[in-house]
Amino acid sequence: MQKDTKVSVYEVVGSPLCVASDDGQKVHDRLAVAFGRDRRVALSFLNVSTMTSAFLNAAIGQLYGTFTEDQVRSMLKVEDIEPQDAALLKRVVETAKLYFQDRHRFDQAVREVLEDDDDD
Amino acid sequence: MRLVLPQQIRHDYAGFEALTQLHARAKDLFLEEIEIDMGTTVWFDADMCAVFGAILYRLGDNLNTVNLVNIPSGVESLLSKNGFLSHYGRLSIPDSWGTTISYQRFDVTDDRYFSGYIEAEFIPRSEMPEMSKGLLKRCRESIFEIFSNAVLHSRTSMGIFSCGQFFPRQNRLDFTVADLGVGIRQNVSEYLRQDISADQAIVWATEENNTTKGGPVPGRLGLKLLCEFVDLNGGRLQIASDYGYWRRSNRKSSSSQLGHLFPGTVVNLEINTADTHSYILPSESKVDDIF
Repeated sequence: MQKDTKVSVYEVVGSPLCVASDDGQKVHDRLAVAFGRDRRVALSFLNVSTMTSAFLNAAIGQLYGTFTEDQVRSMLKVEDIEPQDAALLKRVVETAKLYFQDRHRFDQAVREVLEDDDDD
Repeated sequence: MRLVLPQQIRHDYAGFEALTQLHARAKDLFLEEIEIDMGTTVWFDADMCAVFGAILYRLGDNLNTVNLVNIPSGVESLLSKNGFLSHYGRLSIPDSWGTTISYQRFDVTDDRYFSGYIEAEFIPRSEMPEMSKGLLKRCRESIFEIFSNAVLHSRTSMGIFSCGQFFPRQNRLDFTVADLGVGIRQNVSEYLRQDISADQAIVWATEENNTTKGGPVPGRLGLKLLCEFVDLNGGRLQIASDYGYWRRSNRKSSSSQLGHLFPGTVVNLEINTADTHSYILPSESKVDDIF
């Protein structure tokens, strides 16, 4: 069995302050490449002191737009995260799942409206 | 042109009204000399420098020369200590009390500089009100959430302005972030594809699961987290954007219209620093149960 690929958030961001959406994007891009190659990732938050929802949405929330919940659950695990940061990450994940469910519904509704217009 | 500031500029509805009125009277001036007479201004909430500074920056962008005159010594001292008056021809003076959080202007790409600024200003020191470790962390995170909101939603090219103040004896911390962006009304109206009033747009943006953010990165959480924090902390959150004004305190929200528009968005956070909540939610902390 292949070993998990380890990604250090601190190393990717280069700071204990994980607050910028752009920095979250860098983390996301590494995760997406690994997932695309069927590699499980252990994401370490060691030495990270501060996170925002904007950072976590970009880093992890947007994974749910590309990968299924089952895929994310089986491919990603987090390590060395403080309890209050884990609570924030869970909120971000729950909100991201809802966001993409709603977006699919929204896109479908727009498609239906456009198709109706074409029929007229 | 000569404009007179009122007696008090506090971070409340009246304070926003006073500064937006100033903006309304001067916004169309170009290549003019604008004298702002502060002779009767006996009180100026330091964090409102973010709002005042944003408005003056916008006037300066129209190549107007702005002079602040007749500033009473107490107000001048405060606005010199937090670095505000350095932008308007005065020397900065050291803050011997260590209670100011300096006035700064950032671009939307300055997340790193902003982070460094907040970390430096919030280093625990004797002058700062004593805060629990959990509260200090939530406090910093909340301020970062406000800045991130401005970065993600404002579409500003003129910048993001911030300023704050500690009140050790009153166990209070005030912090304000102002941007010169499109404002919440425009964002929400474009998203909903219908015209909506500025105050109702703020109400919509603060409700659970609402976001104007599209694209691959989800949103929806920043303002919600801020509301939850002030509810638990016993503080206050105020937003002024376009003609809209909204506030939340004691777990209740209210909104109204301003008489004049603010050309962007202001978020003001008032934190109760004597708060002893732990801010740790053990039931949600299992890492195996996140995804």
